[in-house]
Formats: sequence, structure tokens, C-alpha cells
Amino acid sequence: MTILDLFSDYAKRLRDFIRAHTHGVLSSPLQNETRFNELALDLFALQFQHNAAYRRICEARNVRPAMVAHWTDIPAAPTAAFKELDLTGLPPSERTTLFHSSGTTQQPPSRHFHNAHSLAIYEESLRPWFAAHLLPDVKAGERVDLLLLTPPPTLAPNSSLAHMFETVQRDVGSSHSHFAGRLDTDSTWVLDVDIAFDAIENAVAQNRPLIILGTAFLFVNLLDALDGQARRFTLPAGSRVMETGGYKGRTRALPRDELHALITTRLGVSPEGIVCEYGMSELGSQAYDRVAFAPSAERRLLFPPWARSRIISPETGCEVNDGDTGLLQIFDLANVSSVLAVQTEDLAIHRGDGFELLGRAVLAEPRGCSLMTA
Amino acid sequence: MSLPMNLPNYFLADLPPEAVLTPAIITEACRTLKQNRTRYLADRPTAQLVRVIARVSSNWRDPEFPFRKLALDLGPADTGFSRATLAAGLDTFFARITEENLNLLLEQELGDARRLDEFASLPGERLEKRASTANGPALIAHIAAGNLPCPALMSLIHGILLHSAQFLKCASGAALLPRLFAHSLYDAEPKLGACLEIAEWPGGKLSFEEALFAEADSVMATGADNTLAAIGQRLPQHTRFHGHGHRVSFGYLSRDALTHAHARSLAQQAARDVAAWDQQGCLSPHLFYVEKDGAVSAEKFAEILAKELEAHEQHTPRGSLDVASAASIATRRAFYDVRAAHSPETRQWCSDGSTAWTVVYEADARFQISCLNRFVFVKEIESLDEVLRAAEIVRGQVSTVGLAAPPATAKEIARRLARWGVTRICPLGQMQDPPLTWRQDGRGTLSDLVTWTDWED
Repeated sequence: MTILDLFSDYAKRLRDFIRAHTHGVLSSPLQNETRFNELALDLFALQFQHNAAYRRICEARNVRPAMVAHWTDIPAAPTAAFKELDLTGLPPSERTTLFHSSGTTQQPPSRHFHNAHSLAIYEESLRPWFAAHLLPDVKAGERVDLLLLTPPPTLAPNSSLAHMFETVQRDVGSSHSHFAGRLDTDSTWVLDVDIAFDAIENAVAQNRPLIILGTAFLFVNLLDALDGQARRFTLPAGSRVMETGGYKGRTRALPRDELHALITTRLGVSPEGIVCEYGMSELGSQAYDRVAFAPSAERRLLFPPWARSRIISPETGCEVNDGDTGLLQIFDLANVSSVLAVQTEDLAIHRGDGFELLGRAVLAEPRGCSLMTA
Repeated sequence: MSLPMNLPNYFLADLPPEAVLTPAIITEACRTLKQNRTRYLADRPTAQLVRVIARVSSNWRDPEFPFRKLALDLGPADTGFSRATLAAGLDTFFARITEENLNLLLEQELGDARRLDEFASLPGERLEKRASTANGPALIAHIAAGNLPCPALMSLIHGILLHSAQFLKCASGAALLPRLFAHSLYDAEPKLGACLEIAEWPGGKLSFEEALFAEADSVMATGADNTLAAIGQRLPQHTRFHGHGHRVSFGYLSRDALTHAHARSLAQQAARDVAAWDQQGCLSPHLFYVEKDGAVSAEKFAEILAKELEAHEQHTPRGSLDVASAASIATRRAFYDVRAAHSPETRQWCSDGSTAWTVVYEADARFQISCLNRFVFVKEIESLDEVLRAAEIVRGQVSTVGLAAPPATAKEIARRLARWGVTRICPLGQMQDPPLTWRQDGRGTLSDLVTWTDWED
């Protein structure tokens, strides 16, 4: 069997697991946990064997697959390793797609390699969980109007987010759907205000609900553009927003509450219609903090049943209690071609099965000192 | 915050949290300070002040001194330093404050210790029949940054020597030790205490600062360069400004110094520099440069240093950290773990089950800013030239270099460091223990603050 065969055998079992969840063929929590654990251990063994860079990280920690009985003991690769190494199980000839993190000017971006098979799994993971949170009221086969606040993948081929949006558009987008992001002269993402305004005006004129998906910083672009022209819209009922964090110094950063309040006042989308997403180029699955228009009160980010989050005390490395803060770890069965266990640099509060995101741990700045960022 | 012990409300920082501070209260406090100075302090003989400061400082080293006991009891929760780290830090600091050293400081800064009391001449000046006397500012306003107490305490001592009234504004949550020190002075000499004010408010209260700056003759501030620049722009014309920006420090070990016989003691000294004040001061080393091809390699030195930091953790543990600071360490460790797994040019040693200490060895000479709290780099280098190139990014912002080199080479290394812009060179193990006569940022301490009157007879 080739490497790809081995992975495709795993991929088939993962698909069954995802489908069992999305088609409501739910097993008991115990069976669920057992199944998750089996898949995680099998994928770990594959990745240990075929992902040389990851294997060295495991060996440095003296961990081998035979020693691991529970998924929580699988060594998590820090996101920084995606910057330093080719953290992939794909042979070079198979690395057909590369997702970068947006990165900053001082740091190299993360690199996550994909091929057609791993991208297919990526898409199968994102679809049901996206639909469950953004389209709970949309029937199978029905199409919706999307306004996508990123450049299209043709302009941003290394963006996992643009790829995700294109997948969503292909699946459920109507002919009234548009990408409204483009590249600035320095390759940063900016909003194409004309496209965005046209889409919004059309939605209002035709009374068709609009679903706007985008990064926080392009939402700020959009809201600033509305403010600049002293315009306000009330989008038709059923319109909703998916916002994903991250500013990276590209535009004025807004606290999340303020951003949401502006989305409500300037676009007329009620707070219940605003869903936050957490995703990274290093992962294969995403977390959402609420179901659009569902009556649930408390926001918390939740991964699908085929990915788990843990909040780890930076002091001891152990999982923190509910309500406590630590570093976010993700075990993602859909991360087939790289590593399933990822240690992020994000601080989060443990909330039940999910978490509340606090943001990036301050890394470089020594306390009381602000000479420079390393 | 109010102290659990019955300390009287001498200072604004003593007031209960519900007390509301206003610009008018600050103005009023400044005016009272200046009146008290005229009455009680301006004409006190300097020698008396020196004796009071030395006596109080000596008391602070007495384990039974009530203010010290309070500092050690309340300090760990309030400042984040462990009891042992605080005790060691206070002992080191106050051991330097003796009558003899205070007089040395006065002589170094003013030429003659009597010059704050009367006209005095140096021999050369006597020939031209000239004498000078120095006047301290009537009111010094201090804007202290961070939670390291020594710089604030040192500033207060300088101000007293200069017969100045002083208003010390602490960063939020960093007032405990300055307050206790001020109370100890008040206790020793109420009239001296009446010329001090300690207050605490969060940064950015511009109306408070305006009230303070309007009354002060001199403003001394420590902080980030942009904070200092902003303060400088807001000062009234007549107010003199003394800013001290943030600085970094590092260690340098020459190949001739790092012998098998000396490796352990050098590592002990290096560990002391890292552990003191949990590496939070501008004088704390971010990294140690070790010359290549010595008897003991840089990598081996890093390993010995790790052992010594573990020993420190046993007797002088690091304070407990907030989760964000611990996360900085954990995240950096994860990064160097990955590097170490893939390259023999990186190695890392960490405390077990905690973030208490971390040593990262790298062959890469680039200057690295540490996330502090006892996280230190050891880097192998060819020569001083390589260090100066690697540290170019912090040139002009380096305070101290802790140097281990035999006398034959030390002088030349020191000379080159000085020309490059380093303002203090000291033996390893003493980086956080500057003498009282240390010229912070390479500038005069008292001489920077006084105004001279020359008398040509």
C-alpha cells in the first residue's frame, strides 16, 4: 500500500464518522468517544510514520504511537512549527495546494500543504458544521445570496479562508453571490466597496436575505465605508453575518462587541444573526460560537464532533478547569495531511465542550519594556 | 488598596479605594509639599539627611523591622515576587545605602558633599577664587513605571539628598513598596515624611498629570520611549524633564574566563543575575554571549546555568505569573522545542511542570529579547565583533553588560563596549546590584537635577 492508500483508508472511515454525525445517526457519547479515540490514534500513527518533521517533534518528547492510548496524549505540534518546517505527510510531488497564515511582516507565514484528497476532506469537514451554524433554516438544495469579504481564490490561492468561502459558494451560493475582496498594491486584502455596496443595495431592493461572510478587518473596511458615505442599511430579515477574527495590524482594530454593534446599526443585522467563526490555515475544521437566530444565549466556540478543543494551563501543561484560562489545543481528525494535534498561541477560557477566545498570547514584549518585537 | 495593618493615611496611596482623587487634590498636595519643604527640609544640613537615609536603610535589612515584615508578608500577592526574591532584592538594594556611599555619591556628583548646604570650592576653583553651591528642585514629580521597586526607591533617596519635596506617582498596583519605604521615612522623621507624597493611578489620566506637572520644577519619568516623548511634550515651559527609557542588558563571557575551574561559579553568578527581581529590570540579562573555542563550550555553559537556575528555584523561587505571561513562556518553549528537535544548534532546558526557568542555547548570534521571568538565552559567538554586529538592533538601548574576562582582555573589551554605547560594565553576578554611584543611562544622577549658583569672589 502506498502512503496515499493508507491515508485514503483512514479518510473513508473519517467520512463515515462525519456522516454519522451530520445525518443524525448519533451513537452514544461513549461510543462516540471510543470512535474518536480510535480514529485519532490511527491518524497519529500514520502521521508519525509519514510526517518526518512531526515524528522528530514526537521523538524529542519521547512519544511513540505504541505508547499512546488516549488522544489527549498525542503530542501537539505548535503552530510555530508550521512556520519552521514542512509539517506534512504528503510527498513533495503531492503538495498541490499550499495554505498560508496571513502572517505578519516580521514573521514567516505558516504553511499547510494539501493535495486533492486532503482538500476534499477539508471541504467535507467544513460543509456540515458551517451549514449547522449559518444555514440552520435553509433546506437542502436551496441556494442563498452570499457576500464574501475576501478576495476570490484566484487572487488569494494560499488562503484557506478564501478556499472555504469558495466551497460554500459552490455548495449553496446563488447567482447573486460575490467575492468583494481584492488585493491592494502591497498584496494586503482590501474591500471592493462597489461590489459590496451593490450586493447590499440589491439585497435591500429585492428583499432577499444576504449572508455576509468575512474577516473582522474587512468588516471594519465595510463599516468605515458606510460611515464615510453616511449610509445605513437595514438588510432584509434572515440576513446574517459570519465574522472571523484577526486584524494583524491591517486596519483599525475594533473590540468584538463594538464591531458587532456597528454591524447591527449600519447593516441592520441583529446580534442573533452574527456568528463568530474560529479557524486557522493549520486546521481542517472550524469552530462557531452560535447557531444563527437560535435562541441560545451564551456564545462559546465549538468544534464539530470530529475535532476537540482542550484548554491547557501554560504553567503545568494540564487541562484547566471549566471557567479558567489557558492555551488552546485542537485535535482535529480532519487534519489528515499535516498533524491532527495543534498547539495554538491563543489564550482561551474553557467553557464546557467549547471555549471563549481571548486572543493571542503576548509573546515578544518583555514586561515593562517595549523596545521592539522579536 | 488599604493595608491590613493600621498604617496611618499619610499619603494619597493610603486612602481607601472609594476615595476619589481629583486634579484639585493633587494641586493641593503639591502646594503643601512645597510649604513643608520650605519649613522642614530646605535648610536641613545634608549630613543629617544622609544619616537619616542610612539609618532607615539599615533598618530595612533588619528582619524584625516592621515595614520590611509588611513588605515581605504583603509583597508576594501584591508585587508577584516570591518572599525570598523580595528579601534578596531588598537586602541587596539597602546594603548599598550607607553613609559612606551616600557621601561618595554626593562627592562624585557635586564635587564636594557640602555644596547642597553652602558655597564650596574645589582646589582648582580656589585658585581662581570661585565657589559654587547647588540647589535641588523645590518639587520633583516622579512617574514610575513597572513594578520593580528599586528605581522608585532610588529616586526618592536622590530627591531627599537634594532637599526636594517629592511626589511619586506609581503605576497601577505598584505602590506597595514605595509606600512602605515612605512610611518608614515618615516614621523615622515625620518632617521628612511630610515632604513626600505617594500616589497611584492608572496611566493616561492626563488631567491628574497636568495638575502635577504644573506644580513641579522637575519631572523624572521612566517608561517606554513613546510614553516619555508624550510626557515631554506636555510639560510647562519652566519644568525640567528627565526621562529614562527602557533598557536591555546582556552578559559576555570570554573564552579565557570560562575555564573548567570557573564554569560553575560563573554559572552561579549568571543565574543570580537572571533570578534577581525575576529578570524584570532593565539591568537583567536577556542573554549571555559565550566565546567559541574555550575550555567549556557555550552549550555546556547553558547546561550548567540551567542547573544553577534550578537551584535558585529551590531557595529563591520565581513569583507566580498571570496566565498571559506564563503563556508567553510556554509558547516560546514550544517553539524552541521544535527547533531543538530538528537542529543540534538549538537546545533547551526547562523547569519541570512549571514555567519557573528556561535556558535556550542557540548557535545563532542574533540578539534575542527574552520574555523574562527567568527565561534566558545562551549564544555562542566568535568574537566581540560578532556580538556588536548581532546587537546592533538594540544599540543605544543597552544598559549593562555583565562581563567575565581576565584582566588582560577585560580592559579592551570594556573600552570597545563603551565606545559602542554600553553605559555600564560590571562583573557577572552584579548586574542587578549597581553601586549607589551608578550613573543611570550614563548620565549624572544628582548633577542632572541641580541648578548651580557660582560665586566669583
